[in-house]
Amino acid sequence: MCLAASLIGVIVFLRKQSLVGESLSHAAYPGVVIGVMVAGALSLTESNDQWVAFFILFGAFITSILGLWCIHFLTHKFRIRTDSALCLVLSCFFGIGLTLASNVQFTFTNLYRQIQSYLYGQAATMTDIHIFIYGGLSLIVVTCLVLFYKELQVITFNRDYAISLGIKIDRIDFLIFVLTVLSIVIGIRSVGVVLMSAMLIAPAAAARQYTNKLHVMLILAALFGAFSGFMGNYLSVEASNFFSEEYPDYHLSLPTGPMIVMVATLICLFSVLFAPERGLLLRLTRIAKFRYRCVRENLLKTIWRAGPHQEVSLKDLSQYQEISIPYLRIILSGLCRNGWVIKTSSGNYKLTVDGEQWAARIVRLHRLWEVYLADYLGVGAERVHRNAEEIEHILTPELEKELTVLLKDPQVDPHHQKIPPRET
Amino acid sequence: MLSQYSNPYNGKDFFGFIFEFLKRVVDVFTGKLAVGNLVSDEIQIIVLMGIAASAALVGSFLILRKMTMLANSLSHTILLGIVAVYILTRDGMFNNVEPLSINAFLAASLVMGLVTAFLTEFLTKTARLQEDASTGIVFTSLFALGIILLTLFTKNAHIGTEVVMGNVDALHIDDCKLVLLILGINIFIFLLFFKEYAITTFDPGLSKALGISTVFYNYLLMTQVSATCVGAFRAVGVLMVLAFITGPVLMARMLTDSLKRMILYAVGIGCLCSFIGVAVSRHLLSMYGLTLSTAGIVVCTIVVFFITTLLFNSRNGLFINYYRRRNVIKV
Repeated sequence: MCLAASLIGVIVFLRKQSLVGESLSHAAYPGVVIGVMVAGALSLTESNDQWVAFFILFGAFITSILGLWCIHFLTHKFRIRTDSALCLVLSCFFGIGLTLASNVQFTFTNLYRQIQSYLYGQAATMTDIHIFIYGGLSLIVVTCLVLFYKELQVITFNRDYAISLGIKIDRIDFLIFVLTVLSIVIGIRSVGVVLMSAMLIAPAAAARQYTNKLHVMLILAALFGAFSGFMGNYLSVEASNFFSEEYPDYHLSLPTGPMIVMVATLICLFSVLFAPERGLLLRLTRIAKFRYRCVRENLLKTIWRAGPHQEVSLKDLSQYQEISIPYLRIILSGLCRNGWVIKTSSGNYKLTVDGEQWAARIVRLHRLWEVYLADYLGVGAERVHRNAEEIEHILTPELEKELTVLLKDPQVDPHHQKIPPRET
Repeated sequence: MLSQYSNPYNGKDFFGFIFEFLKRVVDVFTGKLAVGNLVSDEIQIIVLMGIAASAALVGSFLILRKMTMLANSLSHTILLGIVAVYILTRDGMFNNVEPLSINAFLAASLVMGLVTAFLTEFLTKTARLQEDASTGIVFTSLFALGIILLTLFTKNAHIGTEVVMGNVDALHIDDCKLVLLILGINIFIFLLFFKEYAITTFDPGLSKALGISTVFYNYLLMTQVSATCVGAFRAVGVLMVLAFITGPVLMARMLTDSLKRMILYAVGIGCLCSFIGVAVSRHLLSMYGLTLSTAGIVVCTIVVFFITTLLFNSRNGLFINYYRRRNVIKV
């Protein structure tokens, strides 16, 4: 059931409407209560569980749709901002639900327990009938997604294109809303009204970190959702068992919903930190690597500028760099180890043949770019240095070749300094 | 007989309740009734009005800044702060602090408000997640953590329900103090920084040019929101405080365009709703024997007021619009 929620979650996530789920799941609460009241009024007991469950689901569905309609109505008719409308609908529906619930507490006391279990989710009390109902509903959601996959894709990413294709936008929008509500209704039994929105957001956000393709994202999100559903249930049962052994005096059961949500959030957090390409950690290392390379190349350039085969002392070097002396030492020793620079007996630094070549290439790129800026883009010669200082670390050999051809292999830069020839 | 004496509102209907209340207010002012002798209904009224007033103050700026979902998120994460206070005070880490003291709650709310805002910002800016998604993830996960800790440490799943739903009937005179203190702080801050708030809300560019830090006032507002939520959680629960924050302000927004008037209207409407809510609750109890959650009834009152405003307000209410349109067609 978490699977269906995660699938819909992807669509909702991409449409930047993540918080709609939050409002709708709360709006489902009075529905749950009304369902229970109807069931109570028809004097159904716990024995015919399936009918109670049916009424609850139906009620939740109705009120969610009603909530959705209210939000739509408020935002379009009265130009109330979406976020305010969402908040208002959320709290008001919840308040109404609560008032009704407090009534149920006294009139149908045995059914009140049911309402409570919908608040935070209680998967442990589920029976075979529930599995059939929820399985069936999930199947409906999945089938709809598969059938309308292309339409959904077009609408999500490019509405105008969809209109020009003649797709009935209104109908598909309505379908999406119905599916959203349906998946929320499916989820409230196991995750609970309060936390259902997390199941819409977290798996989708996690899946987004790994891929740019919609279908891959759907599958990934579904996997994450199903996994967190399973793990959350398992953990809550295990932990409850553990605690009832530890403290036999207390009748303790961990609610399922928060556990599922915690698992889903952990997955999401992990993805945000470690995903390839978009992951935070990898991005940071990439940035750090690039900075390191810039510092090294700048150092080589400084030594090169002193003249061919000249020795440069550490003090002279530190004058032209914006980094501290200890860090400079570390970088220099790194350069020595890789064979770009050698440390002479007098404690000064000198470029090796390889180092000389690399430095010459950097200087060449720098000055080529200056020529390009001055001649082709009309930038004043006094302003080109700063830009070239950055671009010299980025230009690739292919670009260098292109530039050479384009500029007809110039010999001097705008500052009348000689451009080193291309190494062979 | 004793209980009859201790609560003069027993058995009163809606108008009887209002009449009795006014009589007792006059009594308090003329010195016939000591302030310490408040009964539960009056405490409810005071607390709810206090909440409504501070929520309306904070809510005005929240709605104008389009940050209501942040209030939603804060009201959820406050739970974690409250749970942390429970655990710390119970374990005697702060023995000098009274158990569940006001200071601890305020500190917790402050910390949680900042943590929430910081985490959300971190996910949006550094991890490049969409803003709505990061808000959603932060508050649901912190809320889930709060619920789990709560169940673990209190060994009782029902407290969770109580915190979310609130319980007006279990209010205590100390809650009055907390709510009034928070209301006082809110009023004080708004009086002090009204101009700055107005400028940062309506024209961030101008505020930057004037050297007023938007970020600072953002965080200050968030702190106020979390303090308000903490004040409200015992009475109405962390969720329904949202109705107090948004409902009256949106109504006031429909009635006027002036900021000052809007805030005043919102405070007024909020207080009126809480008063009527309590009265209706008492009416239902004495006339039909229905015991309904008072907080729920107050929210329902807000809903009814909201719908009425939608239909009948003189600026762009549904009926006025309909009437105007018909006139145009006739002409």
